Parts: sequence; C-alpha cells; structure tokens
Amino acid sequence: MSISELEQHPASHIHPPPDTFIKKYVFSLDHKVIAVQYFVTAGLFLVFAGLLAELMRVQLMGPNNHVLSTAVFDEAYSLHGTAMVWLVGIPLVTGAFGNLIMPVQIGARDVAFPWLNMLSFWMLPVAGILVFSSLLFGAPQAGWTEYPPVSLQLPLGASLSLWCAGVFVIGVSSTITGLNFLVTIIKMRAPGMTYTRMPLFVWATGVTAFLSMIATANLSAALAGLFIQHVFGVPLYDVGRGGAPVLWQHVFWFYSHPAVYILILPAFGIVSEVIPTFVRRPIFGYKAIAYSSAAIGLLSFMVWAHHMFTSGLQHWEQLFFMILTMVIAVPTGIKIFSWVTTLWRGKVRLDSPLLFVLGFLSTFTLGGITGVMLASVPADAQEHASYFVVAHIHYVLFGGTIFGIFAGLYYWWPKMTGRMLDERLGKWHFWIMYLAFNLTFLPMHWVGLLGMPRRVATYDPVFAGTNMFVSISSFVLAASILIFIINAWRSARQGEPAGPNPWGARTLEWMIPSPMPYYNFRDIPIVLSGPYDYGKPLPYANISQDLAMVPVH
Amino acid sequence: MKQEKTEPLLDAGFWRAVAVMAIISAALMWGVVVMPIDRYLPEASTVSKPIDDLFRFCAFFGAPIFVFVNGFLLYFAIRYRHRADEPMDAVGSDIHEHHGLELTWTIIPSILMIVLAVLSYRVIPLYYPTDQAVASAVTLEAIGHKFYYEFRYPGLRQSVMNELHLPIGVPVTIDVTSAEESPDVQTGAVIHSFWVPEFRVKQDMIPGMVIPIHVTPDQIGIFRIVCSEFCGLGHSHMWGKVVVQSKEDFDKWYADQNRAAAAEAAGVQPISLAGGVASAGQTLFNAKCVVCHNAAPFAQRKVGPGLADLFDDPDHPDLVTGKTATPSNVADILVHGAHGDMGVMPNMQANGLSSKDVADLVAYLQTLHH
Repeated sequence: MSISELEQHPASHIHPPPDTFIKKYVFSLDHKVIAVQYFVTAGLFLVFAGLLAELMRVQLMGPNNHVLSTAVFDEAYSLHGTAMVWLVGIPLVTGAFGNLIMPVQIGARDVAFPWLNMLSFWMLPVAGILVFSSLLFGAPQAGWTEYPPVSLQLPLGASLSLWCAGVFVIGVSSTITGLNFLVTIIKMRAPGMTYTRMPLFVWATGVTAFLSMIATANLSAALAGLFIQHVFGVPLYDVGRGGAPVLWQHVFWFYSHPAVYILILPAFGIVSEVIPTFVRRPIFGYKAIAYSSAAIGLLSFMVWAHHMFTSGLQHWEQLFFMILTMVIAVPTGIKIFSWVTTLWRGKVRLDSPLLFVLGFLSTFTLGGITGVMLASVPADAQEHASYFVVAHIHYVLFGGTIFGIFAGLYYWWPKMTGRMLDERLGKWHFWIMYLAFNLTFLPMHWVGLLGMPRRVATYDPVFAGTNMFVSISSFVLAASILIFIINAWRSARQGEPAGPNPWGARTLEWMIPSPMPYYNFRDIPIVLSGPYDYGKPLPYANISQDLAMVPVH
Repeated sequence: MKQEKTEPLLDAGFWRAVAVMAIISAALMWGVVVMPIDRYLPEASTVSKPIDDLFRFCAFFGAPIFVFVNGFLLYFAIRYRHRADEPMDAVGSDIHEHHGLELTWTIIPSILMIVLAVLSYRVIPLYYPTDQAVASAVTLEAIGHKFYYEFRYPGLRQSVMNELHLPIGVPVTIDVTSAEESPDVQTGAVIHSFWVPEFRVKQDMIPGMVIPIHVTPDQIGIFRIVCSEFCGLGHSHMWGKVVVQSKEDFDKWYADQNRAAAAEAAGVQPISLAGGVASAGQTLFNAKCVVCHNAAPFAQRKVGPGLADLFDDPDHPDLVTGKTATPSNVADILVHGAHGDMGVMPNMQANGLSSKDVADLVAYLQTLHH
C-alpha cells in the first residue's frame, strides 16, 4: 500500500504509544492491556470463589459437621456462585479473552470504543469490592439466585444492598462490553474479511456480545426491583401487598439463562480455534458452527422458565419451555459432533491446549445429556434443586467454561507474554484436573436423584460416604490449579521465548510479534479467504508467507 | 469435496473402533433398561415409574452419544497423531463438510427430542391434576412453614405436623402453599418445597399461590419429605415423613387424630411436670428438637439456642419469652410455642407432643449438661 492509500484508510492510522506508567498499565486504552487486567483481577476472584467452595466441601465431609455455622455456609455458596458467574466467568470469557484476541483476529487496531472498554474493566474491581465487602456485614445467604421473600430476610441490613449494587455494576460493565464488541465486529473488520471468513472465535464473541448487551439490562431491572423493595419497601415481591415472589424468578432467569450462554459461547469459540491449529486441518462444518452459535443466541431468550418448572407455571408454559429447551440442545450437539469430526484425519498434536479441549468435549457432552434430562418437565420434578442440578451446572460451567478457559490460556499464553509455558507441567495439570473433576462431580448426580437437596449444610447420613469421597476429590481438584500457577510463574521468569507463531496457526493474531505491539498491525491486513485452510497459502495479501510457520514441536 | 487418495474415507480401523463403541454402548443401554431403580429408591407412587422411565429414555440414548463422542475423541486423537517421521508442517485432510453426515446428526437428535417431548407431555397430567382428577380425589392441604410442614385433612379439626399419613392406592390432591406467617415481608412466609423423592413428586410452596398436585401412593412404608428450596437457616433441617398405610391402619390413625383433638379441646389442664422421665425426654429431643436446637451450650445456635445447662447456669440468658429459665417457663414455651428471631418455635400440637411428652422433655432438659 502507498502512503497516500494508507492515509485515506482511517483504520491504518497509528497513534503514538502511551508514555506514562498510568497510561500504560493503570488506565490503559489498549485492549490487550485491559485483557491482562481482566485476567489478573478475575483470576484473583477465581481463587477466592474456589476457596469458598473448598470451605463448603470441608463442612460437607460429614453430616452434622460444625466446621461452618449454617449462616456462614449459606454465605459461602451464595458468594461462590455470585463470584464465579459475575466476577470470574463472564469477565474472563468476554473481558479477558474477547479483548485479547477478537480485535486482532479481525485485523483491527483496537475495539470501537477504547475508553468505554477501560471503564468496563474498572467496574470489575468495584463490583468485586461491593460484593465481597458484604462478608463484613453478613453476606447474603439465599444463593446466587437470591429468591425473595427469603433473600429479603437474611440477613438483615446492608448486605443485600451491597450484593445488588455489586452485581448491578458488573452488569453495566457487561452491557457496555457487549455493545463495544458488537460494534467492533460489525464495523472494524479488515478489508476482505466477510462474516464467513471470520474466525469462529469472533463469531462466538459476536453472539456473546449481543447477548451481553440485550439480556443484562433485565438483570439490572431485577436487581433494581429487589433493591427498592429492600430499601424503600416497594412491594414488588410481597404477596401481602399485591406483589409476587415468582415475578423475581421470571425476570432473573430471563437474564440468567442467556447468561449461561454468555459463559459458554466464547469457550465454544476457543475450542473452534484450538482444534484446527493442533490437528492442522480445517474445522469441519464451519458454517454449521457459525450459524448454530447465532441460533443458540436467539433461542437462549426463549427457555428461561425451565428453571421454574416447579414454581407453579401453567401447563402450557411448562410445555412451551420444555420444547424450546429440547430444541436448543440440537445446535449444541451439532457443534460437538463437528468438533469431533475435525479430529478425523488430522495431524493431531496432543499439546496442553488440545488436551483441555478434549477434556471439554468429554465433560461438556455429559453436561449436555443431563441437560436434556432436566428439560423433561416430569423428570425435572425429581432432579430440580437437588445435587443432580449441581452436578449438571458444574459439568457445563467447569467442564465447559473453565476447561475452555484453560485451553485458551495455554494456547494464547505465548502470544500474550512472548514466552512458552512448560508443556510437561501442562500435561500434569490437565490429567489431574480432568480426573479429579470427574471424581468430584459425577457422584453428585447419584445422591441428587436419591434425595439430597441443594443449599444444605448437612444431609441425611445415608449420603455420608459419597459426600466424603466428593470432598476429598475436590481438594485434589483445587490443588491442580496450583500446577498452572507454578507454570505461569516459571514461564514469566525463565520461559522459553516464543516467536510470532509457535503453533503454526493461521488466524491473524499469529501474524504479528509475541507479545503483540500496541498498534497490533503495522499495515492493516487484506483478507482473501477463511483462516482454516491448512496446506494452502496464508489467505492474506500483504502478510509474508514466512509466517505460515511450522509448529515448534 | 475432494478425496486425498483412492482408499475409502472410512477404513477398516474406523469400523473396528465403531464396533467396539457399539458393544460398549449396547452394554450400557442394556444396563439402563434392566437397572432396578426401585431397589435404590422405591417407586412408591403411581407416577414414580413413568418418571423413572423418562429418565431411562434419556439415559438409554444418552449412553451411546456419550460413548461415541468420547470413543471417537480417543480413537482419532491416538490414530491420527502426528508421527515423528512425518514432516513438521504436514497437514490433515481438507474435508470440511459433508451434507449427509451433518443432516443425519441434526435430524436424529431432533427426532429423539420430539419423542421425549411427547412422552414427557403424557406424564405431566399424572401428577398435575386435570379438573376431573381434582373433582374425584380427596383434597388435603400442605402448608410450608419455617421449618416444618403442616398438613390439613378434611374432617380433622387440627392440623398434623410433619407427618403426612396416606392410605395406599387412594388418589389424593394436595393443595400446596406456604404459610401466611406474618404480614411483614421481613418475617413472613418464604418459598419452601414439598419433595418426596420416593414419589418423584416435587412442588414448590409459594406464598400467595395454591398449587394442586395429584398423588396416588402404591407402596406401604415410611418415606421422606425433603425441602428443596432454600428457606432460611433451618432449610438443611426441614424434612418430614410420608406414612403410607393400609386403609384400615389409616382409618385408625384418622380416628385417633379426631379423638386427641377432642380431648385437648374438652379441657385445658395445666401441665404437671411431676413424673417426667428424662430418658423418654431424651428420645423425644433427639427425634424432634435437634432439627433446631443443639444439645450444647446456649451460644451454639442452630435455628434456636443450645439447650444444655438451661437451669443450672446462674448467668443463663432469659428465654425468648423474656422470662427466666425455669422448668415451668420452659414448659410454657413447649405448650404455646414462641416467635424467635430466626424461626418459629412450634406449639405442642404442632410438634405432636402430649402433656406427658412435655413433662418428659423438661425432665430431660434438667439433666442436659455439656
């Protein structure tokens, strides 16, 4: 491109670099720095929320334990769920991974609204402080779902307001990020990158952004309602004065069901990136995976009351939500089958990123199957609000989202830091985590069906053996994260330097140096076709074919 | 779609792997069909088996999906490994779509979902009553409280607490709701759930809503009622019993309830604490009181305070009624109940206590030291 052509194309303009410490690392406008800020902050909340879970499992090692009082136990699971969904899961998959990778994968220099991006990030520590400070006053105890009327009673005072405020703040952050990412993807793709030439992670991030933007506002409304009832006595959920407790359930779940798709779709996107790279072959069913993501996004708004089958819904409501929940299983299945088929006739390299993807496929499939069991209204009568549901959610959220996050971390670590992680430690991490995960959560299906409810600090002694086994497995699971932390620490200090493309991948982030320069691309790339055609030349007109590297091992 | 070589796309190794997965799937599917669920959790109502069969349907088709997904993952990951003698930049097949395959794995799950939806739809009326079912069945009320169940029978003047007696084989409609404990949302009724795992029936108890469910028990025995909707500090301890009896035993129980109610209504005698037997009181305590109280010092609360050293600690706090901790003041609470700050102490009828039981409990509490 000539200088005059560069000047005419606005996206090609490179700003001068940030010069002060504050502008570089604190109030940075650079999507990649913001991504790291999200990783560190959400990672910290992951450790807190995980410790809360381990405290719970110590209490549940035996029936009638007195490790935690009932009130503290209730606070523990409420904050565990609240933090994992809103302070860990959603920030990691959108704020961290979305920010780090999506703009580069579309050939842009940054997101559409960098200042809003920075604002979105800083709402995360504020929200975290609000939510966790509720521990000082006695944290909320009615689960991450905080159903009234009981959530308005326990405990008295400031903590419910803090919880509402904290979740509201992170909700605003999520809404803004959704808007930002959607505009970025629609308006800032490099020349030649049509929608069907976008990497699948961008598809996933786009649908997720749409959900974040549209659904989260309902959460904000629900929280505002709970807050004004709690503080000003407006009787929204108060039966005695014309309100209805079930109203909260409808408004809350209208957001929170799309929320779980916000949690999983980016993980699906990560899977779609890692598999082609580590089998060096095009993804099978690109269009099916892309369009099924959009279908899942739309359908996710139509299934919320499957969380409410026992809440006195009308027959026709139960039927409607049962059918749509079963419908949404089909596009999900299509993806899983397409991903497995991509391994067929590949050149498979079982490196840590792919191992975590295989673990994801294995566990998420079981989570999907138990999801279908929950979709049937009569079967749900036995399963609802029991440990069967706890098992299901952890298979899809831990086996799905968290395994996807680790796959992405191992994959993009060299790009983000310029250093490789230790592959042997990665394998130890994967195998211990995968085995301990299954030993922790598989038995929960069983005790749930036999009659163990959720949100209990003690249980019928007949479940004691299983709970002890689950608790011990969970300690091993928690310990396996230490292996990653050690790996990350050692990589930062003495990790093998990584070039631009250690995995021999083909999406645009691998065409620039590691770590990525602040301007991403010196010249905006020109895209000629989709990114997954291994064996063909790189599909970029102005990028050297030398970057079509071979994998380092 | 371009073929790399002239060999078939799916070779002998592939079909061998499929055969292994098919055998494992078949074994699991057979296991799903023959598994005696009733042995692990009795199928004690007429809707239990239909619901278990829906679960079996899902597991029957879920098993091969699980086996084949995991099986192919394992097989492809091992068989198609990049080998050390291959060039570092070797690539895999470029086959990236197959309309027949993709259509198949869209249509077959869709058909399974349709079948599951139809089968499920037919089970729903078995426990959510149609109007005719409501008209023909006996109707009871189940009311959730913090933290116990209250059952009201037609023709019984007094409610029965925590024990739902039912005659075998008789369809009943249970109107499920939550109590109107106080007009203040801060201390008022919350959502509970009425779940009988052996019946496979669960209905949330929601303040302001009366939701009918339809149950026909078909096994004699004692089954659990579990609260599965978080309702406060006593949630972990909120559970009751369903006692399914023969028609004769049920009629006898029903008549006894009326007799006891009449006797209580006939004359209210002051409770005599003399002759209370501590060992009997201990049995009652362990059966009824440990739900909310610890046999431990005052500070070790569950829902209510610990009850050890009630009478021999000169610094013992006053009772929740504001009176000093004496045997007769404690007996008053047992008889009339009380409102605590975290829950309601039920009265003697709610707890199913006779006057002798009250005396026994007080006698036991006098011996309870930590």
